[in-house]
Amino acid sequence: MAEAQVPVTVLTGYLGAGKTTLLNRILSEQHGKKYAVIVNEFGELGVDNDLVVNADEEVFEMNNGCICCTVRGDLIRIIEGLMKRKDKFDGILVETTGLADPGPVAQTFFTDDDVKARTRLDAIVTVVDAKHFLSQLAQGDEAEEQVAFADVILLNKTDLVSDDDLEKVEDRINSINRYARIHRTQKSRIELDAILDKGAFDLKRILEFEPDFLHHGHDHDHGDEVASLSFSSDRPVDPDRFQKWMGALLQLKGQDILRSKGILAIDGAPRRYVYQGVHMMMDADWGTPWKDGEKRSSKLVFIGRNLDGENLKRGFEDCLK
Amino acid sequence: MKLDLANPDWRTALPPSRSVVADAPVAACAFSRDGKTVAFALGDGRVRLLPADVKAAAGAAPEPVHKGAVLSLIADPNGDGFLSGGDDGRLLRIAPDGSATEIVSQKGKWIDKLAAHRSNGAFAASVGKMALVVDRSGGCREFGPHQSTVAAVDFSKDGSRIATAHYGGITVWSIGQVTLPPRRFAWAGSHVALKWSTDGKFIATGTQENDIHVWRIAQASDMRMQGYPAKVKSLSWSADARWLYTSAQPVFTAWPFAGKGPEGKPPLQFGEEGAGLITVVAAHPASEFVAGGYDSGELQLGDIKTRRSVVLKMSDGSPVSCLAWSPDGFQLAAGNDNGDLLVIDLRR
Repeated sequence: MAEAQVPVTVLTGYLGAGKTTLLNRILSEQHGKKYAVIVNEFGELGVDNDLVVNADEEVFEMNNGCICCTVRGDLIRIIEGLMKRKDKFDGILVETTGLADPGPVAQTFFTDDDVKARTRLDAIVTVVDAKHFLSQLAQGDEAEEQVAFADVILLNKTDLVSDDDLEKVEDRINSINRYARIHRTQKSRIELDAILDKGAFDLKRILEFEPDFLHHGHDHDHGDEVASLSFSSDRPVDPDRFQKWMGALLQLKGQDILRSKGILAIDGAPRRYVYQGVHMMMDADWGTPWKDGEKRSSKLVFIGRNLDGENLKRGFEDCLK
Repeated sequence: MKLDLANPDWRTALPPSRSVVADAPVAACAFSRDGKTVAFALGDGRVRLLPADVKAAAGAAPEPVHKGAVLSLIADPNGDGFLSGGDDGRLLRIAPDGSATEIVSQKGKWIDKLAAHRSNGAFAASVGKMALVVDRSGGCREFGPHQSTVAAVDFSKDGSRIATAHYGGITVWSIGQVTLPPRRFAWAGSHVALKWSTDGKFIATGTQENDIHVWRIAQASDMRMQGYPAKVKSLSWSADARWLYTSAQPVFTAWPFAGKGPEGKPPLQFGEEGAGLITVVAAHPASEFVAGGYDSGELQLGDIKTRRSVVLKMSDGSPVSCLAWSPDGFQLAAGNDNGDLLVIDLRR
């Protein structure tokens, strides 16, 4: 059965941010779509639904000596099981616990061949509690990393804060991850189109951004805080040099580089080369073709800690023809 | 046992068979203890029963017995029916007439692995982080919790123990009246398949990292075989325990366990290449034959003595998902992701 890959949306967010409210709405609203929902706490959902599967967030370290190569084995098992059902899904939603690192969930979709064949990671959606986000940042790395991994952010509970405070929260989110699309919401109310089936980690978002290629002042010391950087060029990319550079870079700095993604114009290739990485794991594929006369430019984004902008820029430039 | 693969008939004509089209992926298949019935576990909640005799009339498709997909199925060790587990958290006993009785119900859990002991009538099920053992009289005991969900379970040869696969290795539990502490055998990573050898001396697992791991139980020593291009999800020991067959290779692949064991030796490989990778492998219950199903849909029968093999079914594009031998070893059942149910009669 040659089937299309089922899109998977990963839903993260700190405790109490509004994930359960969002899930309940997805499960109870009439949208004509069929979603399987993988949750951690069965009881929390008010909806009794056959399509809700309980998972235990079982993370294991890959047996390859790399401590950031962690994967959710339970997800592999559940996705294989879901694919045995006669009824197919329009999408799968994976909820993580409030204190979870989104890394292992995302990496699962890079690691397992069976999962890769049947599903594709569509987007990481993070629900942020507008009222408590700034204080949550002080309580550990989780809130920051959830924003760092996000493709889409629901800035929720906006009714509970002043406009000034909301600006502050949004600025802080931008300083961590400028490439996530932010939707301001109350009670997690949002059109599902805005968060589901966005396509390939919402790479379009990258293209909308002016890169800080020659933009200085972005290399100021963030300390251990997560920040994002991007680079672009109109010169074609040499694929071998890029693979080699990126492979070595992630091997060395993969623990600090939470996300990396890019759309590259490869020398002589008719299609875009779409690249994405989570920590040390990376994946690349040919995307849509370039149109006649379209400007072929490449863009690369890094989100992580201790990003050395000068070094990354030089590395990327060395890959250009 | 008369299955002569050197006979030219085997190469020119496919053997007599029954083919039924179901409407959902097949997760598992099994022959009943008396060999008269074949059952297929389907992704629409049905357990489809067919007469093992390929010429006998088959009944109509039954009503679903599970709410979601049927994930596991074995022959009932205490009767001539079957046991099935589903993603509805229910474990059912299916009588030869297709009627179902509930043995266990744990909402929110999946019952995705089942194993039985041939002679003592006990069977085991994976239920989340626990392994459940039901004895001949229906007494039910739980073993665990394990550090992660139990990915596979199997019985020792004498039926006194079960082994479970999970993260970080395997655990051997004594299930007799005397309660002994469980034995942990550690190996990092996620273990996704497990088979106890037919002589009781070895336990083999397939891991997430595309290799297999084998423990020698008495010495608690272990070995690792690497180099597979995919996860080894199917393992099968030959009846005489001399060979361990593994999936995830383009030809039959058997590790030698006779004598000093496989350390330092390559596996024996034979069969016709060119049909993708083997997804399921099933050693014959008594003799030197082995059946293998491919991700292309091809089905091959091999003979490890002569290293010959014949094609039983051509590729059709749908991966073979399960294989089962009849107790007498004259019939073979197979299912695939498309929902094609096949019973082959190998007597010629």
